[in-house]
Amino acid sequence: MPHPLLSVEDVSKTYDGFKAISNLTFYLYEGELRTVIGPNGAGKSTFFDLITGRAQPDKGKIDFGSATARSHDLTSLSEYEINRLGIGRKFQTPSVYSEHSVWENLVLSLRGPRGIFASLFHRLSSTERDRLDDLLKLIRLDAKREWKAGLLAHGEKQWLEIGMLLAQDPKVLLVDEPAAGMTDEETHRTGELLLSLAGRHSLIVVEHDMTFVRQIAREGQVTVLHQGSVLCEGKFDEVQSNPKVREVYLGRGKQ
Amino acid sequence: MTTLAPPHLSPTRRRIEFIVVAIFAFLALVVFPLLNSAGVISHFTLNLWGKYLCYALLAISVDLLWGYTGLLSLGQALFFALGGYMHGMYLMRMIGDLGQHRKPIPDFLVFLGWTELPDFWKPFSNFPFALTMAFLLPGLIAYVFGFLAFRSRIKGVYFSILTQALTYGTSLMFFRNNLLMGGNNGFTDFKFLLGYDLLAPATQRGLFMATAATLLAVYVGCRWLSGTKFGLVQRAIRDGENRVLFSGYSTPQYKLFIFVVAAAIAAAGGVLYVPQVGIINPSEMTPDKSLEAVVWCAVGGRGTLVGPILGAISINALKSYATRAFPDLWLLILGGLFIVMVLFLPGGLVSIPARAKAMWLKIRPARPRLELPTTTPTASAAAER
Amino acid sequence: MIGRVPAFRAVVLVKPLPSVLGFLFSAWLACSAIAAGAARLTIAKAILTEDDTPKRALVAGLAGEGDEDVPALLAAWRSDQLFIHAAADGAKVPVQLIGPKDAAEAQEALRVDTGEPLRDASGKPLRLVAADLTAVEHDAALRRAMKSVLDVAEIAARDPAKRRQAIQAIGFAQNADKLPALEARLAIEREPKVRLALREALAVIRLKDSSDDAKLAALRELRELEALSSYDLIQAALKNAGAAGQKEIAAACRATLAAIDRHRSSVDFFGTLFRSASLGSILLIVALGLAITFGLMGVINMAHGEMIAVGAYTTYLTQSVFGGGVTIPCFGLSLAIPGMHLGGWVYQAYFLAAIPASFLAAALVGIGLERGIIRFLYRRPLESLLATWGVSLLLQQTFRLTFGANNVQVSSPAYLSGNWTVNDIILGWNRVFVIGFALLIVFGVWLVLTRTPLGLLIRAVMQNRTMAACMGVRTERVNMLTFGLGSGLAGLAGAFLSQIGNVGPSLGQSYIVDAFMTVVVGGVGNLMGTVISAFGIGGLDQVLQQYLPTWAPGLAGFPLIGSFLQNLAQDSSVFGKILVLALIVLFLQWRPAGLFVTRSRSLD
Repeated sequence: MPHPLLSVEDVSKTYDGFKAISNLTFYLYEGELRTVIGPNGAGKSTFFDLITGRAQPDKGKIDFGSATARSHDLTSLSEYEINRLGIGRKFQTPSVYSEHSVWENLVLSLRGPRGIFASLFHRLSSTERDRLDDLLKLIRLDAKREWKAGLLAHGEKQWLEIGMLLAQDPKVLLVDEPAAGMTDEETHRTGELLLSLAGRHSLIVVEHDMTFVRQIAREGQVTVLHQGSVLCEGKFDEVQSNPKVREVYLGRGKQ
Repeated sequence: MTTLAPPHLSPTRRRIEFIVVAIFAFLALVVFPLLNSAGVISHFTLNLWGKYLCYALLAISVDLLWGYTGLLSLGQALFFALGGYMHGMYLMRMIGDLGQHRKPIPDFLVFLGWTELPDFWKPFSNFPFALTMAFLLPGLIAYVFGFLAFRSRIKGVYFSILTQALTYGTSLMFFRNNLLMGGNNGFTDFKFLLGYDLLAPATQRGLFMATAATLLAVYVGCRWLSGTKFGLVQRAIRDGENRVLFSGYSTPQYKLFIFVVAAAIAAAGGVLYVPQVGIINPSEMTPDKSLEAVVWCAVGGRGTLVGPILGAISINALKSYATRAFPDLWLLILGGLFIVMVLFLPGGLVSIPARAKAMWLKIRPARPRLELPTTTPTASAAAER
Repeated sequence: MIGRVPAFRAVVLVKPLPSVLGFLFSAWLACSAIAAGAARLTIAKAILTEDDTPKRALVAGLAGEGDEDVPALLAAWRSDQLFIHAAADGAKVPVQLIGPKDAAEAQEALRVDTGEPLRDASGKPLRLVAADLTAVEHDAALRRAMKSVLDVAEIAARDPAKRRQAIQAIGFAQNADKLPALEARLAIEREPKVRLALREALAVIRLKDSSDDAKLAALRELRELEALSSYDLIQAALKNAGAAGQKEIAAACRATLAAIDRHRSSVDFFGTLFRSASLGSILLIVALGLAITFGLMGVINMAHGEMIAVGAYTTYLTQSVFGGGVTIPCFGLSLAIPGMHLGGWVYQAYFLAAIPASFLAAALVGIGLERGIIRFLYRRPLESLLATWGVSLLLQQTFRLTFGANNVQVSSPAYLSGNWTVNDIILGWNRVFVIGFALLIVFGVWLVLTRTPLGLLIRAVMQNRTMAACMGVRTERVNMLTFGLGSGLAGLAGAFLSQIGNVGPSLGQSYIVDAFMTVVVGGVGNLMGTVISAFGIGGLDQVLQQYLPTWAPGLAGFPLIGSFLQNLAQDSSVFGKILVLALIVLFLQWRPAGLFVTRSRSLD
């Protein structure tokens, strides 16, 4: 068994008496693309909040670090420290800097020193510039690089945010419903992109769209969350045929 | 949180702004003082304009926080007044024994029954020390308060309310005689600055030029700052702090840095204000003064650098006129103006040309032309460089 | 006082026999003349008595008489205002001439025996000229007799409060000659508080007794009474005892002082507690409206303080309408508001009418504000802060122009201006009333929010505006009513503040910061949090005010700014306030969202 990159062990989180996450245990391995599904209120967003430091668990531990690198306890770090360790997050609703241009959005996300003085005297190197150009082409916003991000269409904002995530070049990507608001063609392309990232990066993708899940979960594991804990884990087909999962999703349509 | 026009300038506007600023800098630094020494512009007018420019510094410090970072600080008048008080302490010492009581300590201390200088007053006879304290004390207060506030993620209106409370509490303290800072009346009757007679026209002219130069330097500094990646982060914090946080920037540190910088700019305004106006008292550090500075900023146009300067000068000129012409109605005018600005012209005076243009385009049966909504290449180019 | 003692002694020594006789006589008289008005008869009789000794005896017999006419009549006698009028039938009637002299030098005449005006046969009041009458004479001995009557007349006054005051004054003078009078009074006094005062006065006077035993007994008594006001006198006694080397008495003094100290600290403690509760309820009343507009609606209403002032001025206007009316200048016009010229308790009831009036007035202004400005700014909290500050300036200046820049006079009705003293702790009725009413209002608001359809709508709209709108709730109207409710509560606060502090154009400004702090500390959107934080902040403030001066000397040790800090700490009201603000900022480090957090799971 390889060493997990991200290990979430026996974690619980309660909001005003509502158990959003209860005794959740979850491991993510290097280079893996993990898909997380679950009905509404299963705790998917809270799960991401806990990993990224937006919320602190009531109990349990969350560790980040490979077999070679030092392990970090994420529960004691703040959002920006966790991000600097190499965990990037894409929000459910696209969150871009709407008053900045597409280009500036990417500049802000580009991997590099984040300190005040570094930012005061920062100059883009030609390699960085090339990389941003490549990214713009990848997310197909090359022609709109000077547009204010707030003026982009919903799907374009999703792409921009994915681009911003890639610009950070994180070890782990947490992707929350990337396909929402995209056309089928775009959704497919997003799936392709995510699959191409797996291997070099590790990904956790939360998604509702089962066609999309089927597409990206070809090889990898699927985790089903229900009422704040893991209902089952396995290949897409196994999960799909699991009677417990069917029960939870009963009457919820798509399978 | 805020919705307003982008702070980026279009190339033409940038060029216009540069020319306007250059002209004004030339006027203030060369033409005005020359005309004054030639007797064309009265000392009173020059002095009044000196005061406006000090207020412009205060307005910029508000704008740097509110317009650029989304932090509505109601504590800027506090930093302004603290800068003024620290400088005022030096000026009080320079009165020597020329006060009404003919004692070697300030009059109000004599009045309170002191016969010798309290310990903490002693080093203020030294100008470099007083000047250092004028920046150090506001900076320190801003640092400690900002550290605590930003660390615990106090933002938006909570930040405003807390800074208001900070200002309120400190002003209460300064109103008391026990603080040994002049109580209600504050400091006044200054005589000398660095050996120069404060009442001499030449000294006042020099102070005016120093104020204009400081304002220019602050303007250029802020212009540079807004072009750096720091400026990008700053505005990103304003528009979506969470995203910035999740991009690995320590937003508390960024906010703290800009809060301290803004406090120092406000303090600079205060330092220059005191010798020109000749008095500093606790009414300068009430939350209302902070809010007034916010009005200047809003009227001129926040999120721009010219806006606050324009606002500070125009509102204070209006105030000088109105408080003499119809003293009872001035506050009604100010209050009404504020409501109207917030409701109908959130972009301030500087947004009028753009609005007029948009109106004109709407009215005129325009040739079908595709207007691409773009931000400027220059602004992002600045970030690239 | 001390100077007169030898004179009195001299009388006793020179004329012992008549005095003793007189005393016996007076004792007999005192028994016979119990009915009210008897004092007047006695004086009239004394005036008409020719012989000196029975005359003096009659006068001396007035001692201990509770009739309030006695001091006035005796004073009139001594200042030659009493005369003998010979009636047409030859009867001699003692009269008192009072009032201004008219052209003929005549004055109004009151019969000494009844206090009624003197009338002629036809029943018309007579006016007499002093020069035509025989003045009632008095010699030195008689005047001394009068003086000793007057001395104790006060401790026999009908009003218990006056009695107490007089007794305390006698006690502080430590005049041993007054002991018999005080003892006599103690024997017949029924009022418990006056009895306490008597015991204290007796004990304090006996501190000066030459006998050690009497002193020790007095100290024991004072110790039992925990007499705060005798502290200085006991300290003086301790000093004397120390100087005279009386160890036992010195020790007793110290023990008594220690007991009083303990009592004082407990009085201070409970007094602080009461003041805390009182300040807490003021904060609560002031912040409650804000808890609704800011806490529930998320609107930063900087003009909230002016809503309070609207309430206070409405109270002032109501009072004027009940009283003599008022003319207010209003932008060049002057608006006369007629008064109803009511008196007595009907006038006093103005405050009861002012309470709903203040609520309505402020609620209306609030609704106007909401409709005119705030509804455009629901999604822009910082802008609403600025616009409402503009409104606050407008309103303040309007107050100044209409009611003047100075404070207006709002008189407290009698039922709010007294106080209770319980075990040396002074409880002002207005403060007690505010505490009671604050709790009542909180309960009322809670009822409105949880038990009425409006409350349900308010909560629905505040939680999810869009969803509520989709469900058919008229959110516009709910917003308007909610804001009206919040502003109305501010108006109520104004009505109460008018009873406690000054009413002026900047009334609201002095409370607005505290009100915001209270809501922020309590946790936005939570009424219970506001209640707790109001009492918490109020308590902290009062405790600091009470105890800061005692800590002040400890601050002197700071290098360089020690004396400065010490100075400041003695200015406890302001320094306490600043410390409270600092502690609030530190508190928010621990709980950034206040005491009670309304958690949300929503992103951004």
